Amino acid sequence: MGSKLTDKKRKSRESDSESDDELGNGLFDGVLSQSEDEEDYLPSDGDDEDVDESESEGTEGSEDEEDEDDILSDDIPSDVDGEEEINRLVKQQGQLEITEPGVDPKPKGDDGVEKNYRVERDANGGERYVYEEIDPVYDSDDSDAKGPVNTIGDIPLSFYDSYPHIGYDINGKKIMRPATGDALQSLLDSIEVPKGWTGLTDVNTGNPLNLTQDELELVRRVQMGLLPNDLEDPYPDTVEYFTSIEEKMPLSSAPEPKRRFLPSKNEAKQVMKLVRAIREGRILPYKPPEEREREEEEQEEVHFDLWQNEEPQAPNPMHIPAPKLAPPGYDLSYNPPEEYLPSKEEREAWENADPEDREKEYLPQKHNALRKVPAWGSLVKERFERCMDLYLAPRIRKNRLNIDPNSLLPKLPSPSELKPFPTVVQTIFRGHEGRVRSVSVDPTGVALATGGDDGTVRVWELLTGRQVWSVRLNSDEPVNAVRWRPTKDAFILAAAAGEDIFLMVPTHASVTPALDQTSRDVLATGFGYATNGQQPAQPAGKEPPAKWARPGTKLEDEGVLIRITVRSTVKVINWHRRGDHFATVSPTGQRSSVAIHTLSKHLTQIPFRKLSGLAQTAAFHPLRPLFFVATQRTIRCYDLQKLELVKVVQPGAKWISSFDIHPGGDNLIVGSYDKRLLWHDLDLSNRPYKTMRFHGEAIRQVRYHKGGLPLFADASDDGSLQIFHGKVPNDQLENPTIVPVKMLKGHKVVNKLGVLDIDWHPREPWCVSAGADGTARLWM
Amino acid sequence: MGKLRKKGQAGQAKNYITRTQAVKKLQLSLPDFRKLCIWKGIYPREPRSRKKVSRSATASTTFYYTKDIQYLLHEPLLQKFRDQKVLEKKISRALGRGDVGDAARLERNAARPDKTGKPRYTLHHVIRERYPTFIDALRDLDDCLSMLFLFANLPSTTAVPAKMIARCERLCLEFEHYLITSHSLRKSFLSIKGIYYQASIQGEDILWLVPYKFNQRVVGDVDFRIMGTFVEFYMTLLGFVNYRLYTSVGLKYPPKFDQLKDDQGAELAAFALEGVNLAAGEETKAITNGEAEHGPDPKVQAEVDKIVQQLRDETDEKDDGAAEDDEEKPSDAIDKFEPVAPGGDVLPQPSYSSSDPAQLFSKFTFFLSRETPRQSLEFILRAFGCKRIGWDSVLGEGSFTTDESDPSITHQIVDRPVVQAATSDEGDGEDNQTSQKVGPNHRYPGRVYVQPQWVWDSVNDEELKSPEVYAPGAALPPHLSPFVKPTQGQYDPTVPLEEQQTEGEAIDAELEDAGEAGEASEVENDMDIASDEDDEEEEEDGDFGGFSGEEEEASEDDEESATLQRQRELEAEIAGKAVQGDRKVDAKTKAKLEEKKALERRKKQEAEDLERAKGMLSKKKRKLFEQMQYTNNKKSAEDMKLREKRRRLEKERKA
Repeated sequence: MGSKLTDKKRKSRESDSESDDELGNGLFDGVLSQSEDEEDYLPSDGDDEDVDESESEGTEGSEDEEDEDDILSDDIPSDVDGEEEINRLVKQQGQLEITEPGVDPKPKGDDGVEKNYRVERDANGGERYVYEEIDPVYDSDDSDAKGPVNTIGDIPLSFYDSYPHIGYDINGKKIMRPATGDALQSLLDSIEVPKGWTGLTDVNTGNPLNLTQDELELVRRVQMGLLPNDLEDPYPDTVEYFTSIEEKMPLSSAPEPKRRFLPSKNEAKQVMKLVRAIREGRILPYKPPEEREREEEEQEEVHFDLWQNEEPQAPNPMHIPAPKLAPPGYDLSYNPPEEYLPSKEEREAWENADPEDREKEYLPQKHNALRKVPAWGSLVKERFERCMDLYLAPRIRKNRLNIDPNSLLPKLPSPSELKPFPTVVQTIFRGHEGRVRSVSVDPTGVALATGGDDGTVRVWELLTGRQVWSVRLNSDEPVNAVRWRPTKDAFILAAAAGEDIFLMVPTHASVTPALDQTSRDVLATGFGYATNGQQPAQPAGKEPPAKWARPGTKLEDEGVLIRITVRSTVKVINWHRRGDHFATVSPTGQRSSVAIHTLSKHLTQIPFRKLSGLAQTAAFHPLRPLFFVATQRTIRCYDLQKLELVKVVQPGAKWISSFDIHPGGDNLIVGSYDKRLLWHDLDLSNRPYKTMRFHGEAIRQVRYHKGGLPLFADASDDGSLQIFHGKVPNDQLENPTIVPVKMLKGHKVVNKLGVLDIDWHPREPWCVSAGADGTARLWM
Repeated sequence: MGKLRKKGQAGQAKNYITRTQAVKKLQLSLPDFRKLCIWKGIYPREPRSRKKVSRSATASTTFYYTKDIQYLLHEPLLQKFRDQKVLEKKISRALGRGDVGDAARLERNAARPDKTGKPRYTLHHVIRERYPTFIDALRDLDDCLSMLFLFANLPSTTAVPAKMIARCERLCLEFEHYLITSHSLRKSFLSIKGIYYQASIQGEDILWLVPYKFNQRVVGDVDFRIMGTFVEFYMTLLGFVNYRLYTSVGLKYPPKFDQLKDDQGAELAAFALEGVNLAAGEETKAITNGEAEHGPDPKVQAEVDKIVQQLRDETDEKDDGAAEDDEEKPSDAIDKFEPVAPGGDVLPQPSYSSSDPAQLFSKFTFFLSRETPRQSLEFILRAFGCKRIGWDSVLGEGSFTTDESDPSITHQIVDRPVVQAATSDEGDGEDNQTSQKVGPNHRYPGRVYVQPQWVWDSVNDEELKSPEVYAPGAALPPHLSPFVKPTQGQYDPTVPLEEQQTEGEAIDAELEDAGEAGEASEVENDMDIASDEDDEEEEEDGDFGGFSGEEEEASEDDEESATLQRQRELEAEIAGKAVQGDRKVDAKTKAKLEEKKALERRKKQEAEDLERAKGMLSKKKRKLFEQMQYTNNKKSAEDMKLREKRRRLEKERKA
């Protein structure tokens, strides 16, 4: 048995030397010798011996025998230890656990058809399976059956140059360097290249690596990118099984269905659908996308005359067209005149300014050649801003007055046309103590009468300023008004002091005796009338509105011929143009505030039973039988013949101080204490045509020039006179032109009173003013 | 008691609608609303009182007329916008579901309108609505052209697709072709922003700006979506306008467009105009590019020209004979009415100018050097009658000749500096006939060399300017805007300074001159303001050197005593008229100092008069007057500054 065992061993060893795999594969070891497990559990010893063996292998046979002995000696103790222990050890080794189940199916293998083992008797008499030796042919399952493999890994073979071996096999045995030929052999080899010579060395064996013809072919095919072997066609034609075999008999005996030979209705429907779609152009033949795009574009660009049947429409009144951009000016030129170029300061100012504050968004630049003009950087932005303006900017129709501002100014006559008008003070009449309350220039334009706070009436030579006549009417009361009778045939002055009205003939050197006489006659006729008893009978018990009497010898000597006493203080006297009547107003007089006196009859009438408001002043119309009475707020116009109210003029002033009627009779100026001067066109409206507010204080008196010059003046408490040019055109349709021409300053303001009265020379553009400073002045 | 009225139920509150309300009412998104407003020409309005109009607590900024918005409600485009919105919603929903295929299908269908996809719209009806007549459209063409010409010169980006740019360019070129054919270009102006052109079409003046050919820089935040909306509208508009214009002159629209030539930069020459009927087509086709085809061979050209000239001479002779026969032939032209006997009024008639500005350049052959702006020059030359324009081949296709030495060239436009060394070599380049090489300063004999500004100035003045002034290297005269209309009292650089300065300025200037000269010479009292001899001026100023000091003293005195001042005023007022009269009569004999005094006096008086007149105005009118006065003063101050600068410059030039 020992010999057999050794045989076995030997065989196994032989197989070891032939292929390491057999040794490495524990499966077979286990299978081969189940009982000789000892060899397995001591692999290290065996390995050592293997190494020794391999060292001496092929060289000495004797050593082999020694090895055998060694092994035997090793084996024996293991046998002694007994199988039990061995089995336990074996179980510990996972490697061998696999072998155990491998043992179990063996009895089953008996039932198999082919047996690859023999059953023998072992030394103990038990059955023993002896498997056939496996022949590791190519076909065998043993894919690992390879030659000795060098295990040195990926290190260069040159490391082993100084050693006899070239590496280690899987069992750790040295792989010896194969014998190389001598120099001659290598020379021969180099001369005659053997077939399949590659010049490489097989790492595993150390031999020159030669490739066979087949292998070379394989390499070539791989290099060419072909299949590695051309053994077979990789894409053979498919063999169609059914069509290639013609059936002789039908598979089914069912009758053929109708659908096989009748056209399908559904399909026809589908086809018709497509046909219709094609006809309608819904399905189009395929075109490459870019071509289709181009066609679409062309389709989009339709050209026709959009305005073929145009009809102009009235522009929508609410529509405001966008304003056009202003055309470029000189300074936008690429080569502007040099004066348009900004100076250094201007440039700096422009650059430092915030872009929004700049007046222009560009600075003029000069380029001396067109080729030097650069691109305008903000062009896109400017265009964009224009777009924003077009759609986002609210549009308002703004009436830009693209007119000469001077056309706004009223058409003023040229200064030469306005002349003459008073400009400087010519004469100052001094003599009154206290204020001069009233002035009047006589109809001939020679004498000036003034009345003042000292109760005197004085007559002056107008041009020289010499006092020619004077009378003290009342020592207590001031003379409130003096007025000449407006006709030239007589020389009569009316003056009011307190409640008395005096009529006088101021005789002085320049008055001819004849004139003086006629004047006295005019005044005297009334006495005869009164004495003749033609005075209307006064109702009994009623006080007459006025008493006409002679003022007394003292005064009569002076030339004061008549005294009329009314009920309250008279402030205003105004003559009728013919000189027979005059009106007086005493604002405090309640009912009898307005009185009309008839000179020829020595008659006084109170025309108004009742007046709404306090009467301020009254006047006769210069041409027609009309009578104007001004109360605080309104001016009423009465027809004296029909005895009815004709018109109520409402200047809108708070407190009328005075008014005057234009000699033409259609216009009226009104002065008021609330600093306003108002021009009324009586034909036009009840409201003022013009309101002038050039005074800082109340206006006391207003006066038209009565001698044909288009002038009027006002006197104010601010100590100034204002002269206006007020031309009333002959044409009814034209409006009067009013031009302020002169502000005459000279009177001093005393106790907040400035100029109290004013009068014009009957012919010349001269005017006389009475001031609170005790002087009267002649302006010319 | 009257019925209680709720606020915001009537009046202004009902007439106006805020933008938010409008957007809500139209059920649109804001960008769509914007688009609609741009296309329909709806713009915000400024209510009289914002407070009355706005119903909300916060101040709204933009108000529209309610009626405008109501009018938008019936707009067919509205439906398209809504369809688009629906489609977008569908796609986004599909994408939200992760159904990319569905989204792609919807999008794909969007490109095919037949498949209920993208709402396709046109702006025809909008244009017809906004411009009921063709004239209306022409009136609004300024912005359209400026915009399209700008876009034709923009680089293509995602916001501005190349297709849009190409279309803009095409439309612009087509429009230019019309202007060339109809000779309706009137004026042009080289500004720092670009080139302004003015055309007169059917009596409407159209002014637009074409940028220089550079890459346009986009600075600041420019929203190209808004610009794109405008451009879309304008493209449609110009398309229709072009059609109408082309058909009005008997041309077919669109003209044939040669893509190949256009790719080679032919621009104008890429189009071939055709007449509506075939016979006319051949004729008109020759207008633009007929010459370009037979350009290259000058010899053949010369021969052909000769023959043509002979033929023409013959026909001319015949025509002369025929013309006499046809004297009585009735014509459409207006007859010229000449007064037979003196004494009758002369009625104005449209003028017949002897030289038609449209044929200004018709006899010349131009050659453009390669540094000149070819596009603008080609356009303007063609528009004013030039038929043959050659240019260097680097400037693109379509030239009459690219050979600079072509003998038929009469004018060459050059914009390069004269190289000094070369001139010294050649002496007078133009006359030097011996040197034949094309050097930097080489001049072909018999040819006029001018700078580009010559073309523009000639066009604006409707006459050929003298080319010497515009010779290469010469300092150019200033290029003036032809669009400025001279107004009374405004500074005009074309008029000599003496004619437009105010009297006071003239006197001041002369006094100043005199002070500088310091000559106290003979008394010469030539008070002719518009005296053109400068020496004379200086001399006549001389006599003021001594007096100026006195004048100052006097003025100081005036300031010191108010009473004296007053007295003087009075005197002036009294004598005002007389002094003026005196001044005119004795102007030549009186010293200028008194002149100045008189002027001051007069000014003072005028100021007084003005005050007086102002006093007559109502407060409202006075304020208005003062406002106008302010702006006028500002303007006149500007003018004064300009005059002063010019005076200084002129003095420097003299010195």
